[in-house]
Amino acid sequence: MSQPDFSANLKPHPQANGAATLAKERQQSSFDTNAISKHLFGDAYLERQARILKIVTAEKVFSKTNQANLSRPDRYKLGLARGKRLRQLMNEHNWNDDDFLMAEWLVDDVLPHHLNISLFKSAILEQCNEEQRAYWYPKLQAWEIIGAYAQTELGHGSNVRGLEATATWDHQTKEFVLHSPTLTASKWWNGTLGRTATHCVFVAQLRIPKRAGSEEFHSYGPHPFIMRVRDERTHKPMEGIIVGDIGPKYGYAPMDNAYMLLNQYRVPHDALLSRYATVNRETGEYVKPKNTGAMYGQLTRGRSQIVMNARLVLARAVTVAVRYLSIRRQFRDQDASDQFALEEQVLNYSTVQIRVLPLLASAFALHYSGAAMQELYERTRGADAQKESALNGLQELHFTSAGLKSLTTEMAADGIETCRRAMGGHGFGGGTGLIQLNNDYLSKPTVEGDNWMITQQVARYLLKKVKDLSTASRSTTASRLDASLARFREHSKSPPQLSGLSDARSILEAFEWRTAFLAFEAYESREVKKLPWNSLLVEFRNLSRAHTQAMLVVYFYEGLRGLDALPSSTKAVLWDLFRLFSLSTIEKDAWQFQRSGAVATKTLDQLPKEVLALMQRIRPHAVRVVDSFALPDYLLNSDLGRSDGKVYESLFHRAHVENPLNRITFNPRYWEDELVMGSKDGGQILSKL
Amino acid sequence: MAHVPQWVRDLTPSGPQGSEILAQERDGSAVNVDQLKTFLFGQEALQRKQKVLKVLQSEKVFEKSQDYFEGRTDKFERALARAKKLRQLTVKHGWNETEQRSANDLISEPLPYGLHEGMYLKTLRDQGTPEQHEKYLKFAEAYQHIGCYAQTELGHGSNVRGLETTATWNSDDKTFTIHSPHLTASKWWIGSLGKMANHASVMAQLIIDGKSYGPHPFVVQIRDLKTHELLPNINAGDIGPKFGYNTMDNGFLLFNHVKVPHIAMLAKFSAVDPKTNRYLKPSSPTLVYGTLTWVRSTIVLQSGSVLARGVTIATRYLAVRRQFQDRDAPEWQLGENQTLNYTMVQIRLLPLLATCFALHFTGKGMMALYEANQKKMSQRSSKEQQELRGAGPEETQSGSDLLADLHGTSCGLKSLCSQTAAEGLEACRRAMGGHGYSAFSGVGHWFLDYVPTCTWEGDNYMLTQQVARYLLKSARSVLKGNEPNNDTTEILSHYLKRQDVGAAFDILGKDEDLVAAFAWRSAYFIFEALRQRDELKQSWNSLLVQFYKLSRAHSQYLVVKNFYETLQSPSISSELDQETLTLMHKLFRLYALHTLESESSEFFTSSACTVSQIRLARTKAVMQLLEEIRPHAIRLVDSWDFPDFQLNSSLGRYDGKVYEDMFYRASELNPLNRITVDPYPENATLFKKDESRQLKGKL
Ligand SMILES: Cc1cc2nc3c(=O)[nH]c(=O)nc-3n(C[C@H](O)[C@H](O)[C@H](O)COP(=O)(O)OP(=O)(O)OC[C@H]3O[C@@H](n4cnc5c(N)ncnc54)[C@H](O)[C@@H]3O)c2cc1C
Ligand SMILES: Cc1cc2nc3c(=O)[nH]c(=O)nc-3n(C[C@H](O)[C@H](O)[C@H](O)COP(=O)(O)OP(=O)(O)OC[C@H]3O[C@@H](n4cnc5c(N)ncnc54)[C@H](O)[C@@H]3O)c2cc1C
Repeated sequence: MSQPDFSANLKPHPQANGAATLAKERQQSSFDTNAISKHLFGDAYLERQARILKIVTAEKVFSKTNQANLSRPDRYKLGLARGKRLRQLMNEHNWNDDDFLMAEWLVDDVLPHHLNISLFKSAILEQCNEEQRAYWYPKLQAWEIIGAYAQTELGHGSNVRGLEATATWDHQTKEFVLHSPTLTASKWWNGTLGRTATHCVFVAQLRIPKRAGSEEFHSYGPHPFIMRVRDERTHKPMEGIIVGDIGPKYGYAPMDNAYMLLNQYRVPHDALLSRYATVNRETGEYVKPKNTGAMYGQLTRGRSQIVMNARLVLARAVTVAVRYLSIRRQFRDQDASDQFALEEQVLNYSTVQIRVLPLLASAFALHYSGAAMQELYERTRGADAQKESALNGLQELHFTSAGLKSLTTEMAADGIETCRRAMGGHGFGGGTGLIQLNNDYLSKPTVEGDNWMITQQVARYLLKKVKDLSTASRSTTASRLDASLARFREHSKSPPQLSGLSDARSILEAFEWRTAFLAFEAYESREVKKLPWNSLLVEFRNLSRAHTQAMLVVYFYEGLRGLDALPSSTKAVLWDLFRLFSLSTIEKDAWQFQRSGAVATKTLDQLPKEVLALMQRIRPHAVRVVDSFALPDYLLNSDLGRSDGKVYESLFHRAHVENPLNRITFNPRYWEDELVMGSKDGGQILSKL
Repeated sequence: MAHVPQWVRDLTPSGPQGSEILAQERDGSAVNVDQLKTFLFGQEALQRKQKVLKVLQSEKVFEKSQDYFEGRTDKFERALARAKKLRQLTVKHGWNETEQRSANDLISEPLPYGLHEGMYLKTLRDQGTPEQHEKYLKFAEAYQHIGCYAQTELGHGSNVRGLETTATWNSDDKTFTIHSPHLTASKWWIGSLGKMANHASVMAQLIIDGKSYGPHPFVVQIRDLKTHELLPNINAGDIGPKFGYNTMDNGFLLFNHVKVPHIAMLAKFSAVDPKTNRYLKPSSPTLVYGTLTWVRSTIVLQSGSVLARGVTIATRYLAVRRQFQDRDAPEWQLGENQTLNYTMVQIRLLPLLATCFALHFTGKGMMALYEANQKKMSQRSSKEQQELRGAGPEETQSGSDLLADLHGTSCGLKSLCSQTAAEGLEACRRAMGGHGYSAFSGVGHWFLDYVPTCTWEGDNYMLTQQVARYLLKSARSVLKGNEPNNDTTEILSHYLKRQDVGAAFDILGKDEDLVAAFAWRSAYFIFEALRQRDELKQSWNSLLVQFYKLSRAHSQYLVVKNFYETLQSPSISSELDQETLTLMHKLFRLYALHTLESESSEFFTSSACTVSQIRLARTKAVMQLLEEIRPHAIRLVDSWDFPDFQLNSSLGRYDGKVYEDMFYRASELNPLNRITVDPYPENATLFKKDESRQLKGKL
């Protein structure tokens, strides 16, 4: 490029002035952005976000400019450098775990070290006995060891009981022998393990010989063992271990998901994490797990985090879409008389609104649901802990949260793609900021319980509820679900046939009626007609979905009911969002609402018009509403979604100005800058790529 | 992991081997794969594919084992090497266009010559005069000129009339000045432009004497033919990494008052008279509708195979994949269930399998209509022809024109079929659980490269407005009492006659009634939309969502109808044996009933079906069909005839060696604006200058 760059002086066409457009959008609405930010996230969160943002944006290694061009091995390398630097910053700034997680979220790259602070850490906290925890926990917190969680195998993921890896007790030496008997027993997908980890929790079928030296075993099912994977100094795998990275994926590029095979690998007696079950060292006897019911809380908390994360992911996609689509202009209005009018903002087209605005409403539905789950969890830990109603609620949430995991991760995953596609050509480009998000997030519908499969848990629980209803007497601690099932049973001949669309409470009732209708229908099929389980799976999924949607609507409603301090104009927008969420959900499943008698047919015919009207009412506030999500530009990393609206300048700048792993042994210790073990590269990925 | 110890090499997958499972599946069905294959594609195409495949497989550059690992620059460099080799082979073997297309399908990644071959040559041929063919086309056909089609800009894509690039006529020296007045005028997304092209066919607003005449095509040289450096006052490059399509150099392009000679304006249809400086109007302004219809019909035809690829991979893998024992399985029954046996998996996959056939037959139907129409037109006198072509679908009288019908319906079908294929691929990927997320599944990258089809050649939502406009026009004509003269007007007038009597279709008993129910629903919503627009005077914008649904409903009717008619064709019983034919009927019913069930409220609202019919369709008919089709699933996907070479998938291998291949790839195979390329196929050099390493260093 030796010639003078004439493009430097070019400006977008005057009608394409994004900054002016956004300013106007913000001016036309009185939606109280700041108040809603505080309401959604709280002061502490917003303060943390601002504080951490300043620190990470000052570091070159966290610049996102060129990462989409890198090959897989280079992405890993960059991720490694980032993980190390973040952990260094944690020390420098005295960050707590929440600060660190905020930094990880803002940097928005999965860190190769991630499993050490997620699944490995929770396994140590949950599965260790006290002695074990006292030994391992400080090491992992200090990143002296880097842990992974090795459960899934090449042949088994969903069916954990079908795992093939074995752990055989050797009474002579008081050791367990960990072994992979087949190719399909190879561990697979386990994050952090491929290149980074020093240790892992290895899940294997526990076997104890029937007699000393016998080749016959008692089997006790899958149990967790902690083991060393790599040598502390050389970071080479230990003898008898074959381990590596499984190669490129749809997303998750910096993560070294692993395969691992063990050849008669011996670990000591205390490698078995034995908070619940253990093997008696002296007698070689299996000691059964004590009551395992205590896990409800943890799982619920984990799932509430998934819901809260899905909320932010959706908020992020919608922020980009709403900002860009209000700046993007294409065609003059068909019915416009003024031929010199500016082209229409595409966000004004109803076929664009129908894709994006219901997702905006969904982000709020997810927010209130996640928040309610967290609150319930907190309550059972706090003063109310002993109250039966709280525990009952938690138990119910435990069983039904599978439905929330399934539905909300699907809503977010599909929502990103819907927003991306709504943006036309530029939605396909690197400037959307939604590409990596899509690629990474699309693992979520599968991990932590495949979204289709786990709906069976919800169905099973609802079947049981219906059954209890028909056998047991009325409990005094009936949950909202119990009550709605009972209501259905009593009034099944006179369904609500919702006729107006304005009363929020009757909307809730329609949702709950549909759930009850489907639950009784499923009960009839399974328990009365005794139809095969497999023939009912599709119905079960519909049931789980219906129940979860009802939960979202109820939580949304209750979340808004508790709002007092906000200006009424702002509240009105939130209520419109509530109605848009509920009504567009009904419209998509209109058939079920009709069939169950939850909503009158006439009302269903009015829905499309009502949805259009709601979107029209929300449209002028859209930019301010997404502003209230308070997502920093650094996080969005999107030309299209920039808060200053400089879409075209930024797209052009990105294009015009700003473009291999298993053979290398890496150094995962954060206090050493060196990346490639023994290379003395001093952390300089930047010069050698 | 270079060294793999013996104890690892000795390991095999546990339980029944994938190869045994697939062999059993194939034994369990009597579908005649060869026959069905031939029915779908024809003997000639199948042989062509084998011939081309053999040539490609003997060339090292087409070996795909490293494809999934590379960064953008390496990907592009490799794609360039492939494009060159393919061009050399084409010349060497004298391959024609269908053979080239077959090779592209097998290589199945966008290659950097793509837009030169697909759009630049076509534009020159269709819109150039004989002199222009002499000056430009000759060199382009020899690949001395590499061109692209530069229409879309940073600020405008859908609205072509809104383009900002100008071409101003200079009467004094008989030249045009091509100029980009704003940043948003920058050409954007242009395939083969970023690194490859030395010429561009540029759409620019023609301005004569201060007056604008709308967008017209101009040929502009942009890079030096020797050094391949940009010419003065041209700024161009690659737009960077994308969601998919990363082997293509989609580019940007800006002009700073660049002068081109009079001959640069492609002048077959309209021109500037250099003597009088006057604009010469196009003789046939809407000829392009023919081309657009052809392009969209091609998208419809391909959508079946596009989806079939994902369905093939998912079906094979989920047959091999076993997880859990069936909950109702008796104690003694050991071993886990094939995941393909779970109805929850079947309901995602088997309707998609049926959809592949439905889309394929629809595409074939469209193509046949298009060709029949072309033939008819060429038989008519040129005068008549001009009259027919002279009107776009918006202006045609009373839907009397077959081409207008074809154009209108092709828009709707392009929208429906590309959407169905793209979403179907993602559904296949997700149905495969964890391994579906691996690049080695072979579905993810295929989806990513395919999904822009939902946006280009008319954004899928936008296009439905054209469909609605056409359908409303047809309905008005029927209301006026005009005789029906094509399928659309026929179903509309049938509906009008029957609307007060009601439908009473036996959708579960009779296939023709099932088709009629789809027609009924479409007609109902067409008249409903017409009422809103004409009687209630609703604004256009307020009806867009309705138009979208309307287009979808009508297009689904067309797909169902095409599938049905294919099965009714007189020759079919000589082409397929009875058992296979029966199975095809089941697939037809599965597609139609599953679609009906997913859109049940529309069928109910329009009174095309009753509540209890819909309920039976869901709980009985569809579930039963799943069960009946399941044993034939593997043979049905086999008949789509995808070579493993094309699939490049561990999970979709024909031999079922899923786990061995996953492990092998993981353990043993696992390892652009600063580059000046040499784009000419006869030269071995790929990059003339490579400074990308330096750029990489500045992360
Ligand atoms: C990015 C990523 C990171 C991961 N990280 C880790 C990690 O760190 N550690 C770890 O141990 N694992 C990890 N995993 C593995 C993950 O937990 C599993 O992939 C997940 O549990 C799904 O299991 P699967 O792959 O066996 O799916 P499968 O069970 O094989 O699912 C295939 C299909 O069968 C269906 N199906 C299966 N069983 C049934 C049934 N009973 N009824 C009806 N349908 C059924 C499913 O719905 C699905 O459509 C990771 C996976 C990914 C993608
Ligand atoms: C991979 C790829 C390759 C391409 N290759 C080429 C090429 O070689 N040459 C070339 O010239 N172009 C190319 N294109 C550009 C492509 O043709 C355009 O992106 C496409 O036409 C869509 O236009 P747009 O991007 O302006 O979308 P927009 O029109 O900006 O669409 C944005 C949104 O607005 C909506 N919308 C717009 N107008 C209306 C309306 N009137 N009513 C209702 N809704 C509306 C759309 O539905 C969409 O949701 C390519 C694009 C891609 C992604």
